[in-house]
Amino acid sequence: MIRALRILASLALVFAVFLPMTASADDQDTIDYRQDIMKSMGEQAAAIGQILQQKAPPDNFAVHMQILAISAAMAKKAFQPKILGGEAKADVWEKWPDFAKRLDELTAATADLAKTAAAGGVAATAPKIQAALTCKSCHDLYQEQKKQ
Amino acid sequence: MIQVLKILCAVALFFTLAPVSARADDRDVIEYRQHIMNTLNAQAAALGMILSGAIPDDNAIAHLQALALTAKTALKAFEPKVQGGEAKPDVWTNWPDFAKRMNDFAQKSAEIGKLANEKGKDAAMANVLDALPCKSCHDIYRSEKKN
Repeated sequence: MIRALRILASLALVFAVFLPMTASADDQDTIDYRQDIMKSMGEQAAAIGQILQQKAPPDNFAVHMQILAISAAMAKKAFQPKILGGEAKADVWEKWPDFAKRLDELTAATADLAKTAAAGGVAATAPKIQAALTCKSCHDLYQEQKKQ
Repeated sequence: MIQVLKILCAVALFFTLAPVSARADDRDVIEYRQHIMNTLNAQAAALGMILSGAIPDDNAIAHLQALALTAKTALKAFEPKVQGGEAKPDVWTNWPDFAKRMNDFAQKSAEIGKLANEKGKDAAMANVLDALPCKSCHDIYRSEKKN
């Protein structure tokens, strides 16, 4: 009887503690998908940064801004399934209203930047970028660095 | 005299080898085009997940738009003849062919983006593979994992 209880307790422990931490195949798809979107945002932000530092030609500037805005608008949907893993901290879902609000603000800010870039190029957009691209403040709260 | 010749040879050797290793500015050029290719890769991967039914298709049109816009930026990023990263020298030795492939890709992905806007995501996703000739180009112009 004690032995049976021990086995049951072990099984309960496995299901309660370990399983939620291990992503299933479907969960991995969810993680991969949101990482594809965040990767796009990171790459586009880096390209924009290079242009601002005059390390890359400005020709594509407005297009990079547009891609960043489109990617930002997709991000919230990708984080809606509550699947822990990748670089996302559990706080993403525990503090969902704040996280969602930040993504909505980023979406609005990047859409505005894209509009400015299309009309006025680098010169008109550069002064607005630092205030609009709040990547770090959000990553400090919600991103686990290099935990894949 | 021999000493002078040795120095001249060393200088000549240096200038011969110099184009092989990327300078700081060249590194910027390589990184810039990698940002673009990595975005293309991420967007194509997302579209692949949607096509396979692994994730919902809510963002399908946005991914197609992002892909088309990114494809449009790619050729410009490869214009400076700076070897390095995963790009084979053939990119520049066969530039007319490479440029034609990039232009075709940009045009086809733009057409799919337009189709998505006009006829919806189902029509566009049914034709998306036509707009993604990634492998045929990578087979010729990309050295895998050569960073």
